[in-house]
Amino acid sequence: MQALKLTLLFLFSFTLAKTQTKISGVLKTTKGIKVANANISLKNSYDGASTDSTGRFAFTTTASGAVTLIYSALNFERDSVQINLDHGNLILNLVIKEAMNQLQTVSISAGSFIAGDGKKGAILSSLDIATIAGSRADIFAALQTLPGAQTSFSESGLFVRGGAASETKTYFDGMLVKSPFNATVPDQASRGRLSAFLFKGTSFSAGGYSAQYGQALSSALILESTDLPEKTTTGISLLSVGGGVDQNIRFKNSSITIGGYYYNLSPVYSIIKQHFDYVKAPESTGGNIQYKLKTSPTGMFKIYASYGRTKLALYRANIDTPATPNYFSNHNFNIYLNSTYKEYFGNSWKLESGIAYNKDKDSGLMTVNDYSRQDHLLEGKATVTKSFGQLSNFKFGTETFNTGRLESLNGLARAYNDQISSGFAETDLFLTQKIVVRLGLRGEYSSYLKKYNLAPRSSLGFKTSAHAQLSFAYGRFYQNPEDEYLVIKPTDFEHADHYILKYEINTPDRNFRIEGYYKDYNRLTKINNGNPDNSGSGYAKGFELFWRDKKSIRNADYWLSYSFLDTKRDFRDFPMMATPSFAAKHTVSVVYKHFIESLHTQFGGTYSFASGRPYVNPNNPVYLADKTQNFNSLSLNVSYLTHVLKQFSVLYLNINNVPGFKQVYGYQYSANGLNRQALVPAAKRDFLIGIMITIGDDTFVR
Amino acid sequence: MKTLMKSITLLLVLISFNSFAQNAGPKFIQATKSGLELIANAKGAEDYLKAENHFERIAAVETKEWLPSYYAAYCNLYAGYMTADKELKDQYWDKALLEIDKADALSSNNSEIYALKGALQFMKMSVDPRTRMYLIGESAGSLEKAATLNPENPRIYFIRGQDVFYTPEAFGGGKVKAKSLLESAIAKFAIFKPANTIDPNWGAESAKALLAQCK
Repeated sequence: MQALKLTLLFLFSFTLAKTQTKISGVLKTTKGIKVANANISLKNSYDGASTDSTGRFAFTTTASGAVTLIYSALNFERDSVQINLDHGNLILNLVIKEAMNQLQTVSISAGSFIAGDGKKGAILSSLDIATIAGSRADIFAALQTLPGAQTSFSESGLFVRGGAASETKTYFDGMLVKSPFNATVPDQASRGRLSAFLFKGTSFSAGGYSAQYGQALSSALILESTDLPEKTTTGISLLSVGGGVDQNIRFKNSSITIGGYYYNLSPVYSIIKQHFDYVKAPESTGGNIQYKLKTSPTGMFKIYASYGRTKLALYRANIDTPATPNYFSNHNFNIYLNSTYKEYFGNSWKLESGIAYNKDKDSGLMTVNDYSRQDHLLEGKATVTKSFGQLSNFKFGTETFNTGRLESLNGLARAYNDQISSGFAETDLFLTQKIVVRLGLRGEYSSYLKKYNLAPRSSLGFKTSAHAQLSFAYGRFYQNPEDEYLVIKPTDFEHADHYILKYEINTPDRNFRIEGYYKDYNRLTKINNGNPDNSGSGYAKGFELFWRDKKSIRNADYWLSYSFLDTKRDFRDFPMMATPSFAAKHTVSVVYKHFIESLHTQFGGTYSFASGRPYVNPNNPVYLADKTQNFNSLSLNVSYLTHVLKQFSVLYLNINNVPGFKQVYGYQYSANGLNRQALVPAAKRDFLIGIMITIGDDTFVR
Repeated sequence: MKTLMKSITLLLVLISFNSFAQNAGPKFIQATKSGLELIANAKGAEDYLKAENHFERIAAVETKEWLPSYYAAYCNLYAGYMTADKELKDQYWDKALLEIDKADALSSNNSEIYALKGALQFMKMSVDPRTRMYLIGESAGSLEKAATLNPENPRIYFIRGQDVFYTPEAFGGGKVKAKSLLESAIAKFAIFKPANTIDPNWGAESAKALLAQCK
């Protein structure tokens, strides 16, 4: 009896204790490097193990027969092998392939500088742009601290790699903005119209940009607007120059933002001595409205409309007859509309479409002459993107602009109108995770010039190590001559060829880049006896360095830019090839930001240096052979974070040119060449003080 | 004979129990418990990754259970805390966010899932606050949803308290503000009873430790 019991027990326990198989081994990369923390598992079973620091693993299983062994690890491609558990213990040598890791995947990078929130390849954030000392939240001033851009204070816009300001174009959600600057005072740069806070991404390309962007010879500034605001909030800003209010209203899938501002510089001008004798200090009013609708989980419709009006009047010194200064008045009126729609179809198609309208009107009195100028642009654009493979895509689209100018002097008017129609196609081909090729083609037809152009674009990226990349770009870029020449008569497209070579190392806390370029300009507009033609040409070559470090100094962040530029061109009214007045050979910028937690304050400083710029001296037989003194500027800002009436607030102070460096942009000569006057900033030093209050949110984020 | 019968019955019971264990129930619970033990004994990032792999293996089999993906995300959250390398932190937390989305797909409107998601979004922000400010809003949104789904979930208050604790005072954070949040977290931990032995029940000790630093 007892024996039977034992036998039975033995039998049962035998069936209970299934055979155990031990699986062990080592996991390595294709290059033989051991992979730690990988997951080894059997399909349809909990059994498995993690690899240790030497890539080894071991576990037992009660499974039997043919099974699938799966192995996976972060940054590697999941793989599997078939094994049979019926022949005892197994020792495996597994090899795993490296996977596409977003951080280590090559990108299209030549020529471009990306600032954006949560964006791959972004070097700066939108907040970085807004808080650069001296820039006073102006995107264009902020970008002048980046390599490739000149410090320009006497003319609005970005002068990039030897190009004139008109060769840099601004795009708002892919749509060209014809008049991105505020009303201009003679020989002074003015701010951009579009607030830095409208955008979540800024891509500043100093060359070699995508075939999606046309009508820009030197540079493309690509601005991407924010999506729905998180909350319903009210923002109030009170500045020494005026104030503004904006109301964000957030609904479940949509939002409305309504904003308005009023600026009047006369109180400030009564304190800070101005170079000009103002009859009426600049006074502006304006407003904007935005509506954003999430049409589906992946679709977005946006509309932005703004209106602005500025008035000013002043006397400028008259070098020829000092007793009678020159009168200048300007009344500017600007409306801008931008509406875009974006949606994904299936899992690989994307449609982007938009319509934009811009009208900018200046009128006033110049000495004794009545002048008026009205620019307009109506644009429609549609782009379709098809993604394929893991990262590659192909896009094509079409775009049409109706653009022109109407100007008059003392009642005599002239105008031109042009319809520029274009089509483009481009592919980003990832040959491997480490090599990407972009090939694009853009064609344009101008109804006014009655001419076609065809522009090839290409860019190449090659990842040399986990954090380093080498890039090359070549492209041809066409642009219509400036409005002031087109209004005289139609000529031909101007064009430039860009060759760019770049090497960069990017880690989360530090960025280093060096970029060299050569640009060949042809068919630039020249004026011969008041008649424009396309006989101009030029070149620009140089290199740039950029270094940013967020880590070495606690709570501090700084970046350094250096640009070397060698350029000559024969255009406009130049009698010969010469370095234009907007090109300094050496440009240096240092931007420093330091947050002191105990003081709730961020301190910022920006130092800019530019070597002397050429100017025309009629007494020197060589054209543009004289140079101004070097340019130096040091600006400081302080932002104190606090609460006013329990609402989150920022108290802000910015002082430009703190040490009062003497800054000369150039010289103006009297007709007889005997007298000259320096072109200088509007004021030696300048300050801005203000408070920004956010109601409806107790954190810094808006 | 009687003893024999008894033995056989016992054996039969044991066998049936054994075969029953082949189904999801107890085996799943047992595996989850041993995973939680790995977490409890974890000392560094590697230990959390080991636990994460364990939960990943369970998740691969139990395609209807949300807990394995939830705990895998939790392990990645802690692996990220214990890693200095910012790129690795980012990768662990990116993976955790994918896992938490997987959990959400299996158990929609789950307060625990949204609480953990909120914690992850906040940590993603902390890697590079200047460029990721927008994640503060997203994190607050997830935690708010978690609170709407179950205002008694103590982890929401703990996570909020933790976030505020590590946010500079100037940006609306600080110890003073964190204190009241952590106190309410501890009050809620005291009365919180998980539905079963494997449901989320973490955070009470950490909340107490953090509160001690507020004094």
